Amino acid sequence: MVQFRSKIALVVVFALFAASPALSATLRISHNLGYGGRESLDPISPTRFFEANQMIYDQLVRAGPDGQPNPALAIAWSSSPDLAEWTFKLRSGVRFSNGEPFTAQDAAYSLQRILSPKLASPVRSVLGIMDSIEARDDMTLSVKLKQADADFPIVLTDYRVRIVSSKAAGGDLDAVNDSGIGTGPFKVSKLDQRGTTVLAANPDYWDGKPGVAEVDIMAIADQDARNQALLAGQIDITEVTPGEIGLFSSNAKFIVQRVPAGLWNPIVMRTDTSPFNDVRVRKALRMLADRQSLLSLVVGEGNGAVACDAPVWPGDPYYNSSLSCPADPEGAKKLLGEAGYPRGLTVDLYTSAAQPIMVPLAEAYQAQAAKAGVKVNVRVVPVDGYWSTTWMTPNRPFVVGNWAQRPAAQVLNEVFRSGAKWNETAWNCPDFDALLDEARRSGTIDERKALYAKAQAILAEEGGAFIPFFRNEIRVYSSSLDHIDNVPSMMLRWHKITKK
Amino acid sequence: MADRDIFAEASYHFSAPAQASSPVNTFSDRSLWKLLRAIVHKPAGAIGVLFVLFHAIVVLTGPWIIPHDPLAQDPRTILAAPSWAHPFGTDLLGRDVLSRTIVGGRIAIAITAIGALLAVVGGAVAGITAAMRGGLLDAIMMRLVEAIGALPYLLFLLLLANFFTGGAYALIPALGIFYGTAVVRVSRAAALSVASSDFVAAARVRGERSSTILFREILPNVLGVIVVDGAIRWAGMLLGFSSLSFLGFGVAPPTPDWGLMISDARNVMAIAPWATLWPCAALASLILGVIFLADGAGKALGR
Repeated sequence: MVQFRSKIALVVVFALFAASPALSATLRISHNLGYGGRESLDPISPTRFFEANQMIYDQLVRAGPDGQPNPALAIAWSSSPDLAEWTFKLRSGVRFSNGEPFTAQDAAYSLQRILSPKLASPVRSVLGIMDSIEARDDMTLSVKLKQADADFPIVLTDYRVRIVSSKAAGGDLDAVNDSGIGTGPFKVSKLDQRGTTVLAANPDYWDGKPGVAEVDIMAIADQDARNQALLAGQIDITEVTPGEIGLFSSNAKFIVQRVPAGLWNPIVMRTDTSPFNDVRVRKALRMLADRQSLLSLVVGEGNGAVACDAPVWPGDPYYNSSLSCPADPEGAKKLLGEAGYPRGLTVDLYTSAAQPIMVPLAEAYQAQAAKAGVKVNVRVVPVDGYWSTTWMTPNRPFVVGNWAQRPAAQVLNEVFRSGAKWNETAWNCPDFDALLDEARRSGTIDERKALYAKAQAILAEEGGAFIPFFRNEIRVYSSSLDHIDNVPSMMLRWHKITKK
Repeated sequence: MADRDIFAEASYHFSAPAQASSPVNTFSDRSLWKLLRAIVHKPAGAIGVLFVLFHAIVVLTGPWIIPHDPLAQDPRTILAAPSWAHPFGTDLLGRDVLSRTIVGGRIAIAITAIGALLAVVGGAVAGITAAMRGGLLDAIMMRLVEAIGALPYLLFLLLLANFFTGGAYALIPALGIFYGTAVVRVSRAAALSVASSDFVAAARVRGERSSTILFREILPNVLGVIVVDGAIRWAGMLLGFSSLSFLGFGVAPPTPDWGLMISDARNVMAIAPWATLWPCAALASLILGVIFLADGAGKALGR
């Protein structure tokens, strides 16, 4: 028996050694199972599997470190003088992972399907201004807009606007296209949203051969488990909260990267549901907060910037820096009195650890609200499926949200335009929509800046989102990784990353 | 948190039939004082009494002895290490861990104490009734108890917690029902062994009513078993309730609660161990105390 065991041990040791060269070329990341295993390879699906999609499919135009549009599958673009028609010159010689060549047909198909009412993609609210899209020839794409939009290429940098193969779904614009056939640096080997999804490098990638042979995307719903997985070497990279930096900072095996960013966590008040349908209540619930103190309590000084309920971050050219939002609990009490709550208000605030700061934020806000006579019952619900069963459901009018940094034109249209799929505050304001339309039509950046500033001021005054601060992104990765740019995760160029 | 309920198995110590032919020791045999002295006489019992007494004092005096407001957040002291100002350190929102630990057991203890009482009284009545009646009622009840016992306890508690929504106190019936099923089994076994004894037969021959037999003859003889078992249930319930809080189904933030404190601070356990260590120690010492006390009582009562 003993002999048999030692033989097994020998085989195991041998197998480990034999396997190690292959393992070293595998980049291992995680996703948080936010859609409970329904993560889809269709890049525009409401439950898109972003962690995989960003590596499988390319964008036409990608966001550079400054947020400005950089060439990807489109190498050049120009607009008609009235800004209502845009022409894109496409990259030639690019092939899909099944060997088919990439053409303007695929690009046109990928944009057209965004407009499909049947697919009901959240991206539709961002790109709804597209009127007709056509492939002029194999390498030229033309997009006519319903109205002028000077920032159309910036809007195209949306993280979900990615090129899929038109043949994969037989050209059907209403079909879910989750084939995984893209032009990206990696292709799908095995899809397992609840377990480990395996992607293999595409050696013929147009922007150079990927730095690793394989990417494993593991489903880890729990932040602590992700940290432990990183510490134990099971994954190579993850995002952490400021409180968790200490786990890694003194360890030479890890590199902590602080990325200036405009991530935001709103406390969402549905403007169509009582008591939040009263603008005075919304204003009071925002006014009572001491944002500086929330920032220092929840993310720490130096890890973010105070926000005034507008989602455009200080790094954006359209940021409105003139908004101010001092704490005024007495004023809040007065407003609540006027709104019919002279003895305060009791509300249930739903949150989850979908993003680790979401529970501390709720608790810190709860303490501040109590001082203004508002009793906030914090209801912590499980992470799995939070975005499908709690967020944006009618009987949960008061929840904590989580958004990545987005350019002004994108975020204002996607999250605050009336009728937008992810309009979490159910914000419906024709004047506000008109401002957004006008901004798109404006030819000069100064005009657009003034109009977007007005739109932000409306949100700060009357909107349904309480946005206390913008967060930086804090990323920790194994020191065996290299070539990780200091940009938000959504803009990372995964194929450039190498692993020792 | 354990995968299975270790306390469910603890009942086997008590389910063995007591000496059937002669009446066993009961509470009425000795005064409470004598019993306490007998408990303290055993090392386990002495430790149990010490721990439980300590927690009882802390629970009763908590609000007056805390050094800080347990809800006061302070950005300047986030995850501060233990110091004179904060002997147990502070948590993620800069709150004093000592103060939170002191008052963090109050809700859990109150809820589980009521739940344990519910489990013991309900379980005992059901178990003794099943033993006395026998037949179909007994069979149905026992299969039901076994079915519930076969379920993974945390899963079952989570199911019940989802059903009884409305805050921590709404969990009392759920806890009572779940932990009561084990009491049914133990009290039934104890009652069965007593029911077949000669003095019960004699009472039957005398023509006593069922209720008289239950309260005069059977109950005094199984009370010791049930009370000791009830204490074990209580310990299990404390762990179960704290597990629910840990998972977000029990006490809602920001109320200090051991389970919730552990859950909140576990992400930073490696850099700020004090924020999880102290609530863990408090919970563990109370559970151990109750178990030791029950063990001492069981021994003192001759079981």
